[in-house]
Amino acid sequence: MLDKIEHTKQVFITELQKVVTLQDLEQVRIKFLARSGEIAVLFEGMKTAAISEKPALGKALNELRQCTQAQFDEKKSSLEQTAKPKEVPFDLTLPGRPKPIGTKHPVVQVMEEMKRIFISMGFSVETGPDIESDYYNFGALNFAPDHPARDMQDTIFIADKILLRTHTSPVQIRVMEKQQPPVRAIMPGWAYRNEATSARSLVAFHQIEGLYVDHGVTFSELKGTLVAFAKQFYGSSIKYRFRPSFFPFTEPSAEMDITCFICGGKGCRVCKHSGWLEVLGSGMVHPHVFQAVGYDPEKYSGYAFGMGIERTAMLRYNIDDIRILYENDVRFLKQF
Amino acid sequence: MKVSQNWLKKYVDFKFTPEQLTEKLTMLGLEVESYEDLAKKYKNFVVGEVLARAKHPNADRLSICKVNTGTTVQNVVCGAPNVAAGQKVVVALIGANIPHNQHDPEGKPFIIERAKIREVESNGMICSEVELGLGKDASGILVLDEKAKAGTSLANYLGQTDVVYEIGITPNRADCLSHIGVAREIGLLVNKKLKMPKTVLRESTTAAAKFAKIEIFDKEKCPRYSARVLRNAKIGPSPKWLQDLLTSVGVRPINNVVDVTNYVLMETGHPLHAFDYDTLVGHKIIVKTAQDGEKFITLDGKERTLTSETLMICDAEKPIAVAGVMGGANTEITDTTTNILIESAYFDPRSIRRTSKYLGLSTEASYRFERGTDINITVLAANRAAQIIQELSGGELLRGALDAYPKKQKPLIVKARVSRINSIIGISLKKAQIVSLLKQIDVAAKSSSKDEILVTVPSFRNDLLEEIDIIEEVARVYGYNNIETKTHASIDFSSNVRTDLLQDEIRDYIIGLGFNEVLAIGLQDEATMSIAGKPLVKAINPVSAEMAALRTSLVPSALRIVKHNRNHGVRDLRLFEIGNIYLLNVDKTPNTLDAYYEEERLLLVLSGQNAPVSYGSASRDVDVLDLKGEVTALLSKFCLDNYRFIYYDNQESLCEPCIGIEINGAYAGFFGRVRIQIADKLDIDEAVFVCELKIRAIYDGWARDRKFSSLPKFPGVMRDLAFTIEAALPQKSVEDVIRKVGQPLCTNVVLFDMYSGQQTGIEKKSLAYALEFQSPDHTLTDTEIDNVLKKIIEAVQRQCNGVLRS
Ligand SMILES: [Zn+2]
Repeated sequence: MLDKIEHTKQVFITELQKVVTLQDLEQVRIKFLARSGEIAVLFEGMKTAAISEKPALGKALNELRQCTQAQFDEKKSSLEQTAKPKEVPFDLTLPGRPKPIGTKHPVVQVMEEMKRIFISMGFSVETGPDIESDYYNFGALNFAPDHPARDMQDTIFIADKILLRTHTSPVQIRVMEKQQPPVRAIMPGWAYRNEATSARSLVAFHQIEGLYVDHGVTFSELKGTLVAFAKQFYGSSIKYRFRPSFFPFTEPSAEMDITCFICGGKGCRVCKHSGWLEVLGSGMVHPHVFQAVGYDPEKYSGYAFGMGIERTAMLRYNIDDIRILYENDVRFLKQF
Repeated sequence: MKVSQNWLKKYVDFKFTPEQLTEKLTMLGLEVESYEDLAKKYKNFVVGEVLARAKHPNADRLSICKVNTGTTVQNVVCGAPNVAAGQKVVVALIGANIPHNQHDPEGKPFIIERAKIREVESNGMICSEVELGLGKDASGILVLDEKAKAGTSLANYLGQTDVVYEIGITPNRADCLSHIGVAREIGLLVNKKLKMPKTVLRESTTAAAKFAKIEIFDKEKCPRYSARVLRNAKIGPSPKWLQDLLTSVGVRPINNVVDVTNYVLMETGHPLHAFDYDTLVGHKIIVKTAQDGEKFITLDGKERTLTSETLMICDAEKPIAVAGVMGGANTEITDTTTNILIESAYFDPRSIRRTSKYLGLSTEASYRFERGTDINITVLAANRAAQIIQELSGGELLRGALDAYPKKQKPLIVKARVSRINSIIGISLKKAQIVSLLKQIDVAAKSSSKDEILVTVPSFRNDLLEEIDIIEEVARVYGYNNIETKTHASIDFSSNVRTDLLQDEIRDYIIGLGFNEVLAIGLQDEATMSIAGKPLVKAINPVSAEMAALRTSLVPSALRIVKHNRNHGVRDLRLFEIGNIYLLNVDKTPNTLDAYYEEERLLLVLSGQNAPVSYGSASRDVDVLDLKGEVTALLSKFCLDNYRFIYYDNQESLCEPCIGIEINGAYAGFFGRVRIQIADKLDIDEAVFVCELKIRAIYDGWARDRKFSSLPKFPGVMRDLAFTIEAALPQKSVEDVIRKVGQPLCTNVVLFDMYSGQQTGIEKKSLAYALEFQSPDHTLTDTEIDNVLKKIIEAVQRQCNGVLRS
């Protein structure tokens, strides 16, 4: 009986080796492993065996069954692998499902960066209305009536003595009216001038105004703060200069120039061959302005500054016509 | 203002290159905007002497000239018929830029190169007038005066050696609106005193006072009026030197009297006017204001209507000039004029400015008077002009200047504290240093006490009125770039610093949702702005009709942006804007700020397809639910659940349908589809969905202080329910019933399907909801859930007439 078991095993192995297709394999299964196959017959035969032989026979038969089943499974799985139709690999070059890409307006990007620098230097952010009175836009800022300084800013009027602010400076007055020193604020926003539209000028533009008032604020400190800003914004290697200028609401007044970053100071079309770019106007707050808001000019001093955003954005992004900024052409906006 | 370098050198010696002077004046606050080096365009042009002329072997019309150009003798091929040995001519050497090519139909400039003309070498060109841009004669070469020296540069020969600077003079520096004024600043640079022009008068024995009288009626508007009288002058063109100087600074030469008044104006900054003495009735000058509505014809031939504010110069009968602005046609200098009265006055700046503004007429004279001239130099300027006119036109200068100066002005003395000067600028100068700095700009100062100096303001510096003006001058002369650059800000970080956070956060969030930010100018065209149907705030002096009214809503300008993009083939739009709207309160008087109200708004725009055409995702046209989803996401992010939508029917609104938004119970904005009629007006034939929200309302509802709520410990169970209801009934009525009846175990309800069609009939619709059940303290049993479902089904049936689908 044991011999028979061993013989069956050898025959199974031989026949399994000959198997090529799944059909062949099925024949092997029917012959050996099916309910009425040879191995089942052997189990059947065990019933008639002597009781003393039964444990040994049972063990051998179980081994046979496990061994053949294992070999069969292995063969089957290997055959199935080869028999399966080959799967087409996933095309990873298919496009991803598209998502819209949001963009921030370039003027806003520049403004936010400037804001971030000043906020890091302890400036708060204040705002004021675009529709202003003559008093806030001019009078309180030491623009005398009938003074040629008013020609520096062609004004759009809404009504008698009511106008669209020509600069963000009226916010200085509003901030000082509601707050005692120390004041340290920047004031971003729109400003309007009665100027014909061209590649270089628009009726409206953005400014950032700055103001610092406290005991003992000096022109020297104005320079320090603005140089710190310029180095952060334009790069630490820039050269700069301050030159005398005139604004009715500051004295001494200064314009700040930095070396032209287009030509490196050699002179080009952008800097009108001077090698310098004018980046902001500034000065010490005029005592008349302090008087207008009820600050004592003997007790406090301060500086103010203002800069245009559009020109900076144009230089940064190499835009040569200001009008494209407000056409809001999506093909333009998506570049930023 | 244009300034000539040669002219400046009459008053101060300096050796700066144009670049250096540009830099130095700019650093003093006189911004040199540009300069023109006149000699530059004559570079490589020299005077040449034709030594010999020979016929060209290969061309009948050409000749070969040997030309002495100073240092060498050159072969030059020339085609002009008039060239001859012995002539002095203009030779363009290799590299010269010929401004006008007379053989080119467009006259394009070209550069002289070494060339072989019909196999003969030519090292230059002998030029005609036309080629040099000096005249119209193209028939032959320009033959120069025989005294011209070979080798002389053409610039020198023509006297074109000047450099002309364009300087932007700020309104406070009226003293620099002249050559002497600018020279004074250069004097500061080279530390030299000015060479002031010497006036030596050859007066006759006849006194001017016998021939003319001056009366000032309005002494406020005209504090001083001086004049000189000349007889028997001969009017004619000015000499070349004067014409050249005036031309170089942009003044058109007229005759030897007017030119001299302009010369003195440009020299001293003091405006003068010359009258034909014989046209002055009564030989009188009366200074008084005009009658309202009075008419007057100015020199430019235009009739002007005057007001009682307008200061006029009159003779005994009639007005003869608008004071300080422009003379009259009735008394101007003509070719036949022989007797002249030269006016040199000082007018009140504000009065001149008002007149100039009112007449819309700005002249070299009014420009200076309104900025303030030097009251002390009226006689000086008149004398200076009289002297030169006499030199140029002959004639007799009557003895004595006429000078009406009713109230002599005393020099202004300004006190300045050394400590204050130092504390504003941030420097530490000694008193003596300050006095010496001021002296450099002809401002005298002396010590008056330990900390104080007294500054005597020269009459040409009418911008120095108080201490702060002196501080600025000290800083300027000290040099802005010599002031230390330091920061030691005393900042109070303890107070809450406002930094506009919400707008920035909203912006970043919306950009994350894939929207493109637009920015529109607040001023737009009136017709488009009226779409919003609110009273407009309008400019009374608009730049153009395109920019005449302020926005009352961000929607109309957004529609223009949509239109612009569609015109350029961009149809799928996801746009947003944060901007102000401007409202008019018609009940308030328009000349107070109360009449205007500004508010910051957020705008969202969707149009076109929801996604670009691409593999793997179906594109379709956006609809109102796309926008509702975006709005819901935005509001949920910032206001959590403090908001609700109001579904109302508003015929007035920009949108149809239009859904209102409330935040914390207050109206916050709306969204919907722009009305077809409105889109039509702007020629937009596609659905545009917009949402406009008040930033302030989002701010008020902004849930910044968030508190953690513990996470559920027991799993939720999902169940679906579907009902058939009347098609007209909003789904929300079913959803609300489910939510209400389902409490507290039913924690979420989501509509996941809606169907109306064959199976339901079009008058009915089927709604399918996914319900989530959850308990905070135990795992729910089927029985518990079934009980709730049963109640929900009954309630929906009762309240919405909804039939459960199985
Ligand atoms: Zn440059």
